[in-house]
Amino acid sequence: MPDDGKLGLDGNGYDPNRDGDLQEQFVEQWRTNAYGCFSSGHKFCREVCPVMQVTRNENHTPTAFHASIVAMEKGLVDVADVADDFVHCTQCGACELRCPNTLFTGDFYRHRTRTVDVVKAMRALMVATGNEREGWKLWNERLAEYHNEPVLGEVPVLQEHVRDWAEGLDIPIGGETILFVDCEAAYYRTSYTRAFAQLLQKAGVEFGLMREQWCCGGPAAEMGYVDLARRHAEHNVADWRAVGAKRIIAPDPHDYIAFTEDYPRYFGDAYDFEIVLGVELIDELVKEGRIQLTKPIERVVTYHDPCRLNKRKGVHKPPRDLLRAIPGLELRDVDHVTQWSYCSGGGAGLPIEKPEITAEISNRRVARAQSLEVDTLVSACPWSERPLTEAGERADEPLEVVDLFELLAESAGIEVGGQTRAPQPEAQA
Amino acid sequence: MTTIAFKSGVDDAVIDELRAIIGDDDRVLPNTSSRVNRTRVPAPFPVHRWADYMPDVAILPKTAEEVSEVVKLANRLRIPVVPRAGGTGLSDGAVARRGGIQIDCKLMNQIHEIDLVDRTVTVGPGINMLKLNEELRKHGVFYPDDPASYPCSLVGGRIGTGGWSLLGARFGHTRDLVVSMQVVLPTGEIVEIGEGGGRKLRKSSTALNLKQLFTGHQGTLGITTEATLELVPRPEVEFAAFFAYEDYMSAYRTLGDLTKSGLATLAGVVLFDEWKIAYLRRDDEAYIPQPDNVRAVIAVAMYGTRAEVEPASKIVMKLGRHNGGRYLGDEISAGDWASRHDRYATPLHGRDKNGQAVMMSWHCEDAALNYSVLPKVREEWHAIVERYREQYGIFDDWGMFAYTSGPHKPWADYLVEIDIGIWESRLNEENWQGWVNCKREIAEVSLKYGGSITACHGATREGDAHLVPQEMGSAWEVVRRIKTALDPNNIMNPGQQSFDEFYEEGA
Repeated sequence: MPDDGKLGLDGNGYDPNRDGDLQEQFVEQWRTNAYGCFSSGHKFCREVCPVMQVTRNENHTPTAFHASIVAMEKGLVDVADVADDFVHCTQCGACELRCPNTLFTGDFYRHRTRTVDVVKAMRALMVATGNEREGWKLWNERLAEYHNEPVLGEVPVLQEHVRDWAEGLDIPIGGETILFVDCEAAYYRTSYTRAFAQLLQKAGVEFGLMREQWCCGGPAAEMGYVDLARRHAEHNVADWRAVGAKRIIAPDPHDYIAFTEDYPRYFGDAYDFEIVLGVELIDELVKEGRIQLTKPIERVVTYHDPCRLNKRKGVHKPPRDLLRAIPGLELRDVDHVTQWSYCSGGGAGLPIEKPEITAEISNRRVARAQSLEVDTLVSACPWSERPLTEAGERADEPLEVVDLFELLAESAGIEVGGQTRAPQPEAQA
Repeated sequence: MTTIAFKSGVDDAVIDELRAIIGDDDRVLPNTSSRVNRTRVPAPFPVHRWADYMPDVAILPKTAEEVSEVVKLANRLRIPVVPRAGGTGLSDGAVARRGGIQIDCKLMNQIHEIDLVDRTVTVGPGINMLKLNEELRKHGVFYPDDPASYPCSLVGGRIGTGGWSLLGARFGHTRDLVVSMQVVLPTGEIVEIGEGGGRKLRKSSTALNLKQLFTGHQGTLGITTEATLELVPRPEVEFAAFFAYEDYMSAYRTLGDLTKSGLATLAGVVLFDEWKIAYLRRDDEAYIPQPDNVRAVIAVAMYGTRAEVEPASKIVMKLGRHNGGRYLGDEISAGDWASRHDRYATPLHGRDKNGQAVMMSWHCEDAALNYSVLPKVREEWHAIVERYREQYGIFDDWGMFAYTSGPHKPWADYLVEIDIGIWESRLNEENWQGWVNCKREIAEVSLKYGGSITACHGATREGDAHLVPQEMGSAWEVVRRIKTALDPNNIMNPGQQSFDEFYEEGA
């Protein structure tokens, strides 16, 4: 069966240098993929969609995204008509997993319904056709200026502070193995990164930091700023090559997606780095006995499957194995398939454009955790931890949100340090 | 003296009034994408005439009072009102046929009360059954309305269409599971509809039994704004068994044996014919990696306590193997029963006349038929589809099944479906009319054999709708009196089920 839903070079589904209308190119690129959904019409994806669960607006459903492309082809809508609809997505990937086409016949026909890529491509089309969203525009202008994500709002994220989190840890620059530190984890939840780095040090893993680390570019790509994302990727890869890096450790699931999905698209075969997912590495180190979890953690916890681990990459076992390896800790687990419909709302720029939806998604996730009568919600993604922490603090009975690496470090007897929230502006200055 | 609601009634002044009623502009949606995205249900659709199906505005109410005020406005100005819940029906009940105001109830998805003493749960019409059951699970109860669209359809749509459940033989269908409801009438009044007495009574003999009237009307008599539903103890045991047969008639006899067995825990017995088996063989992942001599399959499911189901399962195994049946094993039985919502229609299995794979939309034509006529109807339906397939080259026969349909009485009534793939992107007006004619011929066969056009999807599609008066026969005049009395201006989902003729005739 012909599948003309292949991605273009930049993953945006069209080539701005080609003749012809950009929207037409977009439709041509994605119509077969869209029709796979449109003709099925089951809508099984809908109740697992975290945004739809909150807004209950049919425009915000994965099926509507695909139907919009068919409607574009028929001349019923154009990109301006649907631009706001396509903001309503965290790119969590639940819809793709729940699609009957993917589930039952996808392997045989080599057809997987692609919705995350469609949303990214439509957002790129929005940027290319002057249908930008104001919040994302400003955010990406700042990214272009500072090269790190403006995670702190008005507080500048300057290069001179990108390694502040590592103070006192004596981590070298460069080397064969590079630890890539996500902006959220470098400037905001630094305890996450300090815990991870110290776990590696405890296990004797040698690693260094980049000479000049820019944002991975993933969020910009998610918001449709394809060229900007690519510029950041090119910088980072050049920095890795300059120090002779062969292996990149990505503790943050969002970076891992960028390095394993976006970067190979940008650089093709020349991209030959080994990308290591943080939680899988720590799991190996614990299982090999190189990290000893000896200090009991007397908490009753449940685990939040971060979307980009569980739904996008199928990684759900290592975090659970690690939690079960911590002495004293009681895990009240919700299986990873049930968690297809869970999310923090923190992904794909949603909190920038629609903070109220992100907040409500997180409120609901925290409420689900509280119904299990736990004292802690453990996550494994700093992007989820900010909205979840805020929701936990807002709740009538506050719930603490802790990162998995932070708990592991504590159990390994490490004094983590760092902070779990933004520093006060004067402290940064 | 037509009083049919007209399409051009929604102007800026109406939008302003709607905004004043709703008080939240995010819930009043006259923009193009909101209208485009509320035109379609999962059934073939004349894509070339998409705009004909667009409402003029969609609203997302949160309360019965908001619904009531909007309906009063529509009634005053003679503007069509189209209720929409999940929009997952297999007919066009939730689709605007004359524009107007679409009342989309998805935000009314609250659980208002769980009563574990009198065993009811009261919900808004926008809640999904799977989501409801996630909440009910911790109380040891469940709401057993289980359509193929279980993961996505909503309670309000189930009530509006008179939905049918895969577990209906054991637990009843939607109409048997709704204890009472709150309804906004076409004139805007909010009324309580039940058996009589309070909201939680299952049986009364007072006055008239109105509840069934408001179940399965396809959105033409009112809008359910709250429903009190049955709570059933969670079954201790689920049992499923699939059996293969070398010919249809052996399976057909077994179907009769099983459904007349008197086993009260039978939740469903379904017979798949050879066309359906062939369809499922189109890829190597399907549930039937079975040899060519398998020409029919029977699936049986039972639910209940262990004390009931375990001994009953031995009887099922014996009956299923009778008439040459071969048990397909625990893995296929349990696995395919578990995937019953997702498995049986996928666009990727479409084939053109030359056997080339093309993505097709799925239409399932559903009839209500008695056991005695199943073999004859099967032959005639397949012959009709084959004729249209040859003539137009955009249709594909995806096979048939017959499924127990009598609530708590599985022995004589069947939901019978023929699934037809349609190469929707090839539709033009000529092909579409061919399709409408095909549907009409299929429905006419059902009527000829004493059946009904539809067991659950609703007779709201072109090809079916104009046969409704014929099917209703002498009762059609009763339908006219009821519809015109409750909806004097034909504002409630006009264009459906031939009801317009009541008004065109000057009622």
